[in-house]
Amino acid sequence: MDTTTAPTATDTSKLPLAGIRVVDIATVIAAPYCATVLGEFGADVLKVEHPVGGDALRRFGTPSKRGDTLTWMSESRNKRSVTLDLRLPEGVELFKQLIAKTDVLCENFRTGTLEKWGLGWDVLHEINPRLIMLRVTGYGQTGPYKDRPGFARVAHAVGGIAYLAGMPRGTPVTPGSTTLGDYMTGLYGCLGVLMALRHRDATGEGQYVDAALYESVFRATEELAPAFAMYGIVRERLGSSHNDFACPHGHFATKDGKWVAISCATDKLFMRLATAMGRPELASSSTYGVQATRLQHRHDVNEIVRDWCGSLTREEVLERCYATDTPAGPLNNIADIFGDRQFHARRNLVAVDEPETGESIIVPSPVPLLSETPGSIRSLGPRLGQHTDEVLREVLGLSADEIAKLRAKRVV
Amino acid sequence: MSDAAPADAPATPLPLSGVRVIDVGNFLAGPYAASMLGEFGAEVLKVEHPIAGDPMRRFGTATSQPDATLKWLSEARNKKSVTIDLRQPEGVQLFLKLVAKSDVLIENFRPGTMEEWGLGWKELSAANPGLVMLRVSGYGQTGPYRRRSGFAHIAQAFGGLNYLAGFPGETPVLPGTVPLGDYIASLYGAIGIMIALRHKDATGRGQIIDVGIYEAVFRVLEEIAAAYGVDGRIREREGSGSFVACPHGHFKTKDDKWIAIACTTDKMFERLAVAMGQPHLASSGLYGDQRKRLAAREQVNQIVVEWVGSLVRDEVLEKCLDEEVPVGNVNSIADIFADEHFIARGNLAHVQVDGIGDVVVPGVIPSLSATPGRITNLGPTLGNATTEVMRELLGMADSEIQRLRQHKII
Repeated sequence: MDTTTAPTATDTSKLPLAGIRVVDIATVIAAPYCATVLGEFGADVLKVEHPVGGDALRRFGTPSKRGDTLTWMSESRNKRSVTLDLRLPEGVELFKQLIAKTDVLCENFRTGTLEKWGLGWDVLHEINPRLIMLRVTGYGQTGPYKDRPGFARVAHAVGGIAYLAGMPRGTPVTPGSTTLGDYMTGLYGCLGVLMALRHRDATGEGQYVDAALYESVFRATEELAPAFAMYGIVRERLGSSHNDFACPHGHFATKDGKWVAISCATDKLFMRLATAMGRPELASSSTYGVQATRLQHRHDVNEIVRDWCGSLTREEVLERCYATDTPAGPLNNIADIFGDRQFHARRNLVAVDEPETGESIIVPSPVPLLSETPGSIRSLGPRLGQHTDEVLREVLGLSADEIAKLRAKRVV
Repeated sequence: MSDAAPADAPATPLPLSGVRVIDVGNFLAGPYAASMLGEFGAEVLKVEHPIAGDPMRRFGTATSQPDATLKWLSEARNKKSVTIDLRQPEGVQLFLKLVAKSDVLIENFRPGTMEEWGLGWKELSAANPGLVMLRVSGYGQTGPYRRRSGFAHIAQAFGGLNYLAGFPGETPVLPGTVPLGDYIASLYGAIGIMIALRHKDATGRGQIIDVGIYEAVFRVLEEIAAAYGVDGRIREREGSGSFVACPHGHFKTKDDKWIAIACTTDKMFERLAVAMGQPHLASSGLYGDQRKRLAAREQVNQIVVEWVGSLVRDEVLEKCLDEEVPVGNVNSIADIFADEHFIARGNLAHVQVDGIGDVVVPGVIPSLSATPGRITNLGPTLGNATTEVMRELLGMADSEIQRLRQHKII
């Protein structure tokens, strides 16, 4: 394993979002991931959690040696944990003081929850007119389903992407990862926040960003909506090797029980594949040289590619495809990824030591890569309340006495 | 082509007005970032080859107009088309003049291609030191595989997503939509651009944003890397379920439709048990605890399979919603068009296109309260803004434009 160790520099002043304070009162992945990205590029992210238990992400998935899960350790990178009970009036007051000194607030409670605590947009906007607020829910802040509980699994279903994943007429499957919609919504939210920051810097005016999990996956369904509206086409599950516009295009098993992806979007690319297979005659105009012909004889073409892939190991198939510049690649599992030169060359895997237990945890490094102002991982997910004292002291100017009293009353 | 906004829409400001973006990419990975910036007010100039244009014009479902598939119309929204042949030296000079007057450049050629044309970072940043450049490719600008051709499908497989979709031990399937990786890579690209623009405003310095589609996909796979790093565990395909929660998956209803149920916590399962009319299932002696449910996954799923199979989809949905169980239809696109929530949120935008008529496309997300995005036009005809840009932006005489056209440089 030649993973890189993360830069440990704590100087964030040169990062492009230095000076931006983000308060993250959200849970699990969707809205918190927006704060994660902002933190990688220099924002000071305060993770405000309930004093007992904190964010449920601390318990969701595989535990680290310290107890908090690996997903928590990875995705709460660079954040500072501050405990505050928003169900207590004193907690609400402190939170308002914090919001007065904050640029961005990320939340993903069920609609109406913050309002119930007296922390709705109107209240927060009045306290801090420059505030930008990201609100993430399953269905958004408006519309008839706004109050329904929404997890990414449900959002994948409602947004139309789960329907498309699986074998034709078979059970729809998870589209790769159960939290895909959470991450995508975090990304849309982050983009919205950055645009809102630009507008605020120009005008002084804050605003809120309303992001719904189901909308993020629906937005990625390319031409599904216009094709249904115009022609009534209902796209069904694609299986492993079906594409309406390209053939061959899919996953093929190799002799050693592994899988490769091959995609020939154009005739030129099919010609390269035919050459790689040692059968250039397949790409002649009288055989399968034209996309329309291949689509018509999809079954036969896939059979030829399947037989060829099945007669060779994955390495052999890929080597021959790369030699003729055919778009092909392995279906990597995580073990393949850890052994891959490209991931190492791009430093996509970073080993970060957890200071308390000394456990080395390997996490994905920041994306995207910026040439002048790259993002960084300065610490993994914090312990619950690890930074409560320093934040109350430094940001809100509270004395040690006042903090002790708040703690005794379980406000923090 | 007419404005998509309703006539009574308030004239809200757009956060990216005044930002000029050149999009010289093909298909989606990168160009979708330009589409998003365009929705929020950036002026997007789509620079295309004078004869062929972007191949996405011909990829997907055709319309009555040539070079305008539905995919092109939807995803090239708000752009203006400018034709320039970058394979001719005069085209390169013209392009550099355009770059000098722009803020952002987006490209997705195979790494090294722009350098071959004399349009590497050295030349581009000399023309415009504040330029922000997004480069998207299958494998990124560095590393041993950088020159390999990388479409979304290949990059998603390489990034580890496709391995995970499908049933355990069976054929891995496509994870929903084919160009998912293109969308995700573009989201990261757009975020990178916004961060780089902020840095440029503060310092005057531009920079490069380098996104490999594979790494954008890999970045969203939660704990998979960390778990393998800790104990060598390889995440396998999980079918329609989940490894960390049960019941959590897709279930078939009596009327042959599908529904998603996600009981992430014990409380959610308790609600489901009540909805099923079998509250005792959630007792501590039975399946009240997530670990017990995971250990008895097959039995628990079977109970849910039978219950869901005994009712039509609307009945299952209603009973679950009454108890606040996280539930939702596994919607086809036909279901989506009939869904009141999609309509209420404006997720289906109707846009009139000359010669084609009404085209329905996904609306703008995310929703911004003070500066909402908008769709002003769908994918433009090839070169619809060439003359305008040459004349007004580059101050070129009509005779000169005529000459460039004759030489097929524009």
